[in-house]
Amino acid sequence: MFHPPSTGVLRSFAVGGALLALFAVPGVAFAEEPLHTVIDRELRAGWDKAKVTPAKASSDAEFLRRVSLDLVGVVPSYEETVTFLDSKDADKRDALIEKLLADPRFARHQADVWDMVLFGRNPPGYETQRREGFQTWLRARFEKNVPYNEWAGDLLRAEGTSAENGAMYFAQWRNAPEDAIEAVTQTFLGVQLQCARCHDHPFEEWKQLDFYGMAAFLARLDVVTVAQKGNQPIFAIGERNLGEVRFTGSVKDAKPGDKGEPVKPKFLLGAELAETPFPKDFKEERFAANKMPPKPKFSRKDALAAWATNADNPYFARSVANRIWAQFMGRGLVHPIDNMSASNKPSHPTLLDAMAKELAAHKFDLKWYIRELVSSNAYRLSGIGTGEPTPEWFQHARSRPLSAEELVESWQVATGYLAAEAASSKKPENDRLRPLGNGYIIQFFGNPTTGTGDFQGGLREHLYLNNGPLGSMIGAKAGLAEFVGDAKKPVADRVERLFLSTLNRRPTPAEVKRFSAYFGEGNSASEAVWVLITCSEFRFNH
Amino acid sequence: MKLNCVRGEHLSRRALMKGALATTAGGVVMNWGGLTASRAIAAEARKQKKHCILLWMNGGASQFETFDMKPGRPTGGPFRPIDSNVPGIQVCELMPRMAKQMDKVAVIRSMRTSEVDHPGGIYLMHTGYRPSANVRFPELGAIVAKYQGTEGGDLPDFVKVSSNGDAGGGFLGPKYQPFGIGSEGTLPPFAVSGMDAAKEAKRHDLRSFVEDQFATENKSELAKMHREAYEAARRLQKGREAFKIDDEWAKSKELYGDSEFGKRCLLARKLIESGVAFVEVGQSSYDSHADNFQWHRGLVPPMEHAWAGLLADLKERGLLDNTLVVWTGEIGRTPQINNRAGRDHHVRCWSTALAGGGIKGGQVYGASDENGVEVKDNPVTEGDFFATIYSALAIDPKTENYAGLRPVPLAPFGSKVVKTLLG
Repeated sequence: MFHPPSTGVLRSFAVGGALLALFAVPGVAFAEEPLHTVIDRELRAGWDKAKVTPAKASSDAEFLRRVSLDLVGVVPSYEETVTFLDSKDADKRDALIEKLLADPRFARHQADVWDMVLFGRNPPGYETQRREGFQTWLRARFEKNVPYNEWAGDLLRAEGTSAENGAMYFAQWRNAPEDAIEAVTQTFLGVQLQCARCHDHPFEEWKQLDFYGMAAFLARLDVVTVAQKGNQPIFAIGERNLGEVRFTGSVKDAKPGDKGEPVKPKFLLGAELAETPFPKDFKEERFAANKMPPKPKFSRKDALAAWATNADNPYFARSVANRIWAQFMGRGLVHPIDNMSASNKPSHPTLLDAMAKELAAHKFDLKWYIRELVSSNAYRLSGIGTGEPTPEWFQHARSRPLSAEELVESWQVATGYLAAEAASSKKPENDRLRPLGNGYIIQFFGNPTTGTGDFQGGLREHLYLNNGPLGSMIGAKAGLAEFVGDAKKPVADRVERLFLSTLNRRPTPAEVKRFSAYFGEGNSASEAVWVLITCSEFRFNH
Repeated sequence: MKLNCVRGEHLSRRALMKGALATTAGGVVMNWGGLTASRAIAAEARKQKKHCILLWMNGGASQFETFDMKPGRPTGGPFRPIDSNVPGIQVCELMPRMAKQMDKVAVIRSMRTSEVDHPGGIYLMHTGYRPSANVRFPELGAIVAKYQGTEGGDLPDFVKVSSNGDAGGGFLGPKYQPFGIGSEGTLPPFAVSGMDAAKEAKRHDLRSFVEDQFATENKSELAKMHREAYEAARRLQKGREAFKIDDEWAKSKELYGDSEFGKRCLLARKLIESGVAFVEVGQSSYDSHADNFQWHRGLVPPMEHAWAGLLADLKERGLLDNTLVVWTGEIGRTPQINNRAGRDHHVRCWSTALAGGGIKGGQVYGASDENGVEVKDNPVTEGDFFATIYSALAIDPKTENYAGLRPVPLAPFGSKVVKTLLG
């Protein structure tokens, strides 16, 4: 449910005039020019200015694999690959995008990406490691294409319980409003306040008191266990009527034992929140266990949610526009994406303004926005021939490692493991990462998952690839290895099948020659499959 | 006092200058510190190859129960100091074996660091930097691996045996991630190939062909790293013998002491002897908020036995001159003894120790006041500590690597090398 902001909230924008002057204020009318052509125009201007030459357009095969991984998190199957590559339809790329946007895996993949943004692999605490209820809720936001400002607001209002919705989010930071506000501002507003936690920052507009003024919005939250499901507690986020954060001045001058002064909630570079003080003798009851905590008389957290996700909040739209841009293009127009500040300016300011404005005008419709991004010629540039994984001027496609989920699910498709499962009468295990399981996979391939060029796969991941249990997938019944190992079939067909199934392209003549020779000597087909699902071309999306 | 913040923004003015230069030249600055200048430095340092062993006291060992005794003071605790083989230097009675090795050791009694809790302290004392949202600093082990490692060797250059810290290779990239060994000295999962060698060789040839093809058109840094890590994982099959210590353990048990930590120190010596640049060996758990003295009575004797054995063994084998042995944890402990006979976290004044390669042993540097509350002479910050370690390892602590566009010196800007400690 969307709560309109109170007048107090709106007033805070007016007071933050100095800040607004830095940014274009998002309007409401749609622009006549589609966003993807604005993107192409602005990037071209950047290339001219920086004197860089853009890469040529991507091949069909390059585009197919890239956009499939980016939209649904899995490589296309052999059949899908052949159909797309052989299609003579001039609009086949647009048609593919529509098909992928409508695919149920689209919601799942985008929810995976956001789950990592909101929690990461190792959330700070309080039983948030397991959060199936939250993940289901998040996926449903993308299935229904709920406007981003709406679900972000719901997440920050945290009503209901952890079993059913976004109430899990704040459970990461129990009794730590300072940690919570750092994460909220970084994630939803793209600004970093953490330096201001300890001292006034020399280069930024906000001061230490601004940090504590923001933390005050979350000072009264508590995690209440309202039920138990199996061995897993179900939480609700309670909000008390009383409780303040305290400010002791710069950390380096702090004296031991100084408890500091209470700080009133104040919007970042805006106004103080208007609150009616409680009578001095007001006594608050503690939250009871196994009972939904009552709502406070006035909710600071809801005021923060309304302010933060308001379309007029100059940080909100820019932050999400920039974040999703980086998800598809490798780096933000402001980079790093969560450090928007006067000292870290965007590479393409006009473009960022336009993207934020259009996204707000389209009521934060993320599916529309993603469609515009992948429809741009910029997204469709080739990634071949270059070294930099996240090019500064977006002059070629970025290269990024596949996430743990993308990797395993792509192996399932490429090896024929998934097809074998579908053909079998046995019900498949209820584990996305089957048959490998999540233990080692998350350990070796789980971090980081920013979807950018950041890559930490070292020696250990190769020990797993080289000596681990990949054979359990490669050996799938009637799978790829079986087809490729069938000496009765023409060798050229076997090699072609191998490449189309794994790398989603046809082999080059050199590859046909080399692999034909390999099979001619009677070598293992399983190992040939292994080579193609562990090589660099498979490991990265480019 | 230093500005109490080392977040990435403080680098940004210099970074902007450098960034601007790089972009006007039309060049693309690579990630992961891959700069030619710093590569040349790496090649130079390798000529005088040094090694480093980090003995990591997880939780924070007490200076009062090791190297900075305060007998007769209210903060002193129950243990007594004993003489060492260096006139004028005394150590805790829990360390009789180390007392006989003090001619090789330089103690720093004036550490003053800036992260008072475990996670921050572990990061700080592994990297020399405070945790930052913008820069992923590499650990000491990653830096030693980069500047003193063996390109294309059979063994990983950064090995961690049952220790802490997860900063790893940081912005230096996956090539410098630590190779983790379990508490029993066991190899990580999947380290051993069960495949027929001839079949593996065929597979490897085919894989090399595929990677070569890809590399001719794709100059991708990521693919290059991915391939290097694959090669390293494969070479490990050849180097695996270096991790086996069972035979030697029977003979060395007495020298190192019959403890898990002793075994890990023997493994460290064996790996150094086999050419590994950096080995970290951890011991837990010193976080003695209660029963501090009982904990130290249990933990210090096996630790000091192994450490003394390690120094003697390195010396015996002629390895000590080129191997720096660093002894530290993430924090020190409070002078005040709390009502549970514990000591809490204290970083305003605590002790660390350096021994071996590049270090002038037989000395104490810096001093604490009479109760061990504050540094009296010659404070040493985390930055100074790391700058001194790098200098002892013949690595210039001012060497810069690039985290994206930001130039980051090995030791934090403004750190000083404590020359008195260098031999």
